[in-house]
Amino acid sequence: MAHIILIEPDRLLAQIYCQSLTAARHSVIPCASAQAAILAADQQTPDVVVLELQLIEHSGIEFLYEFRSYTEWQNIPVILHTQVPAGEFASNWQLLRDELGASAYLYKPLTSLRGLTKAINTNLSLVA
Amino acid sequence: MADQANVSPILSQQLLLNVAEQLKLPLLQIARQAEYGRLTNQPDLKTIQATADTALQLLDNYLLGVRLNVSDQQLSIEQVSIASVLYDAAQQLDGFAKSYGVALELNIAGKFGPVMANRQGLQSALVSLGAAMIEALPAQESPDLKIQLATHRCRYGIVAGLYSDVEQLTSKALNQGRRLQAVSRQPLINVSHTSAAGVFVADAILHAMQLKLKTSRHHRLYGLGAVLKPNYQMQLV
Repeated sequence: MAHIILIEPDRLLAQIYCQSLTAARHSVIPCASAQAAILAADQQTPDVVVLELQLIEHSGIEFLYEFRSYTEWQNIPVILHTQVPAGEFASNWQLLRDELGASAYLYKPLTSLRGLTKAINTNLSLVA
Repeated sequence: MADQANVSPILSQQLLLNVAEQLKLPLLQIARQAEYGRLTNQPDLKTIQATADTALQLLDNYLLGVRLNVSDQQLSIEQVSIASVLYDAAQQLDGFAKSYGVALELNIAGKFGPVMANRQGLQSALVSLGAAMIEALPAQESPDLKIQLATHRCRYGIVAGLYSDVEQLTSKALNQGRRLQAVSRQPLINVSHTSAAGVFVADAILHAMQLKLKTSRHHRLYGLGAVLKPNYQMQLV
C-alpha cells in the first residue's frame, strides 16, 4: 500500500481516480491545486505524486519546481498524468525528466484507470 | 442582431478549438466512469447522464452562438422575464451542479420588469456560463461551493448572471481570456483549469443579440453576467 497525492483539479475525475486507486489498496489524498498539494505533502510525505499540469493559478510545472526545492522530496516519483499532449512540451521533456524529476508521462485522455494504477505500481517498485 | 461587420470566421474557429478542447473533459469523465462501473459492476449512471447532458448542452449552445455570428439567422428580440429565465437556467444546471457538489441558489429578490432579449439565447448563454463556473469552482479550493444565479440593477440596465466567491473573476481576466482563447489551453488561467469554453460560447451568443458579457459584483460575490435593457414601455403600463 502506498500513500499517493493526486493533483487533479476536476472534481469528478478526482473522485473516480481516488475510488479506483483506493480499490487497488492505495491511500490517496486528492488535491485540486498546487498549494494544497504542498500542504498535503508537508503533513504526510507521499510515496508517489500524480500530477495534472493544467491547474488554476500555479501550473503543474511550478508545483514541480516548488516540490523539488525541498531535499526530502527530491526522490519521490512524480507521474505526469495530464490533458496536455506530449507534443506540446516535447522540447521541455528533458527539463521535466532530468531537472525536475518527472518519472513518467501519461496522456490522460488515453490512459485507463488500470493504466494509471500500473504506472504507479511500476514507479513504486523502481523506488523500492 | 449580429453585427455582420464584426463577423469573423476566425472567431468561430477559435471558439471551435476551445469547445473541442473543453469537450474532451466530459468525454474523459464518461469513459473513466464507465470503466470504473464495469470493473465494479456498479456504474454511476446518474452522473454519467448529467455529464453527457452538459456536454450536449455545450455543443448546442456553441452551434447557436456560431450560427448567429456567421449566418443571417437572427433571434427575435422580445420581452423576457429575467426571473423565469434564471429559474429555467437553474433547472438545467441542477444535475451538473449536484455532481460537482456545488449548491445553486436563485436570488431574484426585487421587482424587475421585462427586459428586451431573446429568451432562448439568454438562457443558453446563462447555462453555458453556469456550467463553466460550476466545474471550475471546486478546482479553486473554494471553501464555499455555492453559485448564485442573480439579477440586479446597474447603471447600464439590468444584469443577470452567475456569482461565486471567486474574486479572480475580474474584467481584466475576462478581456485577457478573450484575447488568449485561440492560443492558450487555459485562457482564464486564474479562474478555470479548462479552456472555459462555456464563457466564450456565452460571449458569442450575447454578442449576436447585441448584449454584453461583463464581470460584475452581486453583494459580496464576483461573477459574470449579461447586461440587459429594460423594456421602458412595459414599465409605463
